[in-house]
Parts: sequence; C-alpha cells; structure tokens
Amino acid sequence: MIIVIDGLNRQRYSRLLDEMFALRARVFGQRLGWEVDIIDGKEIDQFDALDPAYVIGLNDDGHVVSCVRALQTTGPHMLSDVFHDILDGEPPLRSATLWESTRFCVDTDILDRGNSRNSVSYATCELMAASLEYARNSGISDIVTVIDPVMNRVLKRSDCAPYGYVGSTKPMGKVSAMAALLDCSDERIAKIRAFAGIEGDMFVSDQRAYELSDDHTQTVPAPKVAAVTHNTRMRQLLAEYCDDQIAEAATIEDLDAAKDLAQMLESAGMIDTRNSSGTHG
Amino acid sequence: MSVIDLSNLPFPGNNLRSFLDSVCETHELDFAAYAGMDPIAQTVHGFVNYPDEWQTRYVKEGFQYRDPALLLASRSIAPVDWQRLRGERTFRDIFRAASDHGISEQGLTVPVRGPYGDVGLFSVTRNCSDREWDLLKAKILGELQTAAVHLHDNVIHSHALTRKLHHPSLSAREVEILQWIAAGKSQQDVADILSISNRTVEVHLRSGRSKLGALTTPQAVGRAIGLGLIHPE
Repeated sequence: MIIVIDGLNRQRYSRLLDEMFALRARVFGQRLGWEVDIIDGKEIDQFDALDPAYVIGLNDDGHVVSCVRALQTTGPHMLSDVFHDILDGEPPLRSATLWESTRFCVDTDILDRGNSRNSVSYATCELMAASLEYARNSGISDIVTVIDPVMNRVLKRSDCAPYGYVGSTKPMGKVSAMAALLDCSDERIAKIRAFAGIEGDMFVSDQRAYELSDDHTQTVPAPKVAAVTHNTRMRQLLAEYCDDQIAEAATIEDLDAAKDLAQMLESAGMIDTRNSSGTHG
Repeated sequence: MSVIDLSNLPFPGNNLRSFLDSVCETHELDFAAYAGMDPIAQTVHGFVNYPDEWQTRYVKEGFQYRDPALLLASRSIAPVDWQRLRGERTFRDIFRAASDHGISEQGLTVPVRGPYGDVGLFSVTRNCSDREWDLLKAKILGELQTAAVHLHDNVIHSHALTRKLHHPSLSAREVEILQWIAAGKSQQDVADILSISNRTVEVHLRSGRSKLGALTTPQAVGRAIGLGLIHPE
C-alpha cells in the first residue's frame, strides 16, 4: 500500500517521514556507500527542503518499506546540481511534463526474497507502478530517474526496462549511478502490475491515511526490524553476488557456471534457498 | 496547439489575458488565472479572466493573502485539485463568495517552479460534476502543465534583469537533435541516425522547446538558428 506525502500534508506524517529518512540512511549511506549526510540516523539533503513529493510504500503494519522522491525538472533538482557528473557536464533536461525521481529504495532487511506481498520484488514493483501512476495522474508523461546498475537490472527483469538513458554511468560510492528514462504510459504501468500481480488501487484510503497520521501512532505497533548481524549481511551479499552473476552471464556457459555456484552455496547452507523466478528475463 | 504563443507577442499587454482565454476555449474551461512571484525582480504578477466584479472583490477583501489555492499549491509539485482544499475553512469562505460571481469550486492549480526560486501558479475552473471534472482533467492535464510553464517562463523573462540571466542552456544532444530536425529529418529518422529510441528523441525535443521558450518544434528550430546554436543546411 502506498501513501503520497508532499508539502501539503507532510506536517501530519513526521513518523513516516522519519522512518523514510532512516531507510534512506541505511540504503544510500551504508549499503551503497554514497557520500550522503546522515544525522541522527536519518539521511536528509537540501532537496528535501524544497517540498518534493514522496511516494512511500508501507507494509500491513503501517511501516515504511520503500520510498522515492520526485521533483519538477523546471526548477532545482538533483541532476541540475549534485548529479551533474552523470550528465558529462551537459545541462539537464527541462520539461513541464518530465519529473525527476531520486532516492528510490526498498528495505531489504524487513522484506523477504520471495514473490509474496512482503517481498523485495513486490515492494519494488508496487513503488514503481505507484510512482508512475502518481506522475501520470499529474499530467506528467516521462520520468528521468537516478539509479544504480542493480536497480537498472531489477527494472529490466520486472518488464520495465528504461527506454533510454542520458549521460553515462559514473562511479558513486560502492556502486555507480546512471540516469534512466521511463514513460508514465498506461502500457508500462500495466506491464509492471502484471509482472508482480498487483491488482486494484495501490493508494491508501482517506481513512487509512488518517490512521497513519501522527495523531494515531498509538495504533501502529513498533517495527520488528531484526538487528542486522555481520553474518546475515554476508549471506545477503553472497546471495546478491549470485543473482548478479546469473543476470550478467553473457554466454550459456557463464550462466551454467553461475547457477552451479549458486546451487553449491545453497546446498552448503551459505545462502538462503533462492527463488529462480525472480531472476529470469 | 491552438493556444496563443506568448513569445511571438509584445509584453506586457492584453496578450496574457488572451492567452488565458485561449486556454479556456481550447480545453473547455470557464476561467483561468495566473499568479507569479519572481524573487530576483522582486515582483508579483497576477492576471485573470474572471469577471471584473470578482477580481475587485477578491483584491479588496485581501483573499490573495489567504487563498489556499495559492498558498498551499506553491508547496506541491503536482497540480492541486481544489477538492483537496475543501476541508480548509478559508477555501470555503472564498468560494462561498466566488459562487456569487458564477465561479465554481471545481478547479485546480498547476504549480510551476523555475530555476531562480521563482514560482508560478496557474489555476483553471469549470462548473461541472465531479465525474465530468475527473474525465476532463485526465484529458487536459499534460497540456495545462505545458501551458503553465510557457506562461510562467514568459512572465519571468519579461523582466530585463531575469532575461539577462537567462541563457538557453541546451545539451549537446538537444542541439544535435534540433540540427537533424532542421535538416528535414523526421523524429524516427533522428532516432535511427543516433541509435536511440524515438521516445528519447521526443523527450529531448520537449526539453529543447521548453528551454527555448517555444511551443512547437519548428519554432524551436527557428529560435535555435537565431541564437546560433544550430546552422541551417
């Protein structure tokens, strides 16, 4: 389920915003190693002061599991300022019907790796489909989004491959970053929905939105985020490495070798049993 | 696009109001209004095609200082449907007064943010049912976004100081694409020549038009030639 928080309602959702900034700190500060400012465990930058729109994914308990931030390209945004490296020094795109999306992330600690409603895969697709729907319903036709190569592969696997790129891939922290183009067409939204099996209205009802506001925090149980130990972190990295090897295999031999390795690690109990359907395509 | 192109007309003048009239006519709307704040020139521009009596009353009662359609919409990146404001007391006060002048509470405000911290708010209304309104909105919102930015950019660039600061900064890709269009190539030709998708060409053309203040591609080509960015074949 998805909630949109913007300059009009943000004063009512400080709890959700704090959870979102904490998620961003874990993903961009720790996992991706980007140079972001983290204060009190929250990652907040100058663009958060510009009243952006946040599209936020929530689990059934009402806790943040995914988020993305949108800004207009007519005014100040990240590609016009801090991400200009990606554009090779070129000026950014500017259009009334083009939004920029940044800080797209999902909580891989709280979500599992299957295909259920509580999986990384479902949460990623739901956030992607919802943010495209929100943009489309605002009269926007395209999105330029700053992503890392892993997210780029996730998009391709989820039947949502970008139709183009601007600039080039540049190193950023432990990974690299690129600017991809996505259309907010009904076709693309339908494809993502079909891929993940998303049906009905993704956005919260007015009643649910009211329950999620700060006035009603007492109805929301405390988050059950397990402490991330070194061991679980290593398992996760190993599993991600296997996924990447399989996704990137250029020849059938490479693919077989990558699958063999994954199976070996699986039977040795070094990674969790993997769901093959998440990696094809 | 039948909406008047402001950049072809002298500024200021009645053309801003004509622009609003043509937006209303093209998109089946009753009224339109624009309010823009330029922090560099320290100016506020406002013009509307509402009935004169309502304009007078609006200013006389100081509604512009508490109208949520202006105050709240400037904090949104998406168009704000006034249905979202119905809970605000000031909104109810103002629209009780507005209804005396035949102005419906069915409307929306498109917020525009410019590069210098400038903000423009473009509002339109139409007296109709919620259902009819939702259908109309879905149809015209993209074009209203484009009209709002065109209007705002023209108002901001009308000020000498802001105009001096403004250099259309086209990327090499945008220039390259306009150069091919000027050479008579179609959008698909350009996509094939540059080995990029048709839609990537489209997005760069839209961006190029926006930066050159043009509503159409031929006009953007003309302007790019005029600025020496591209060269006629």
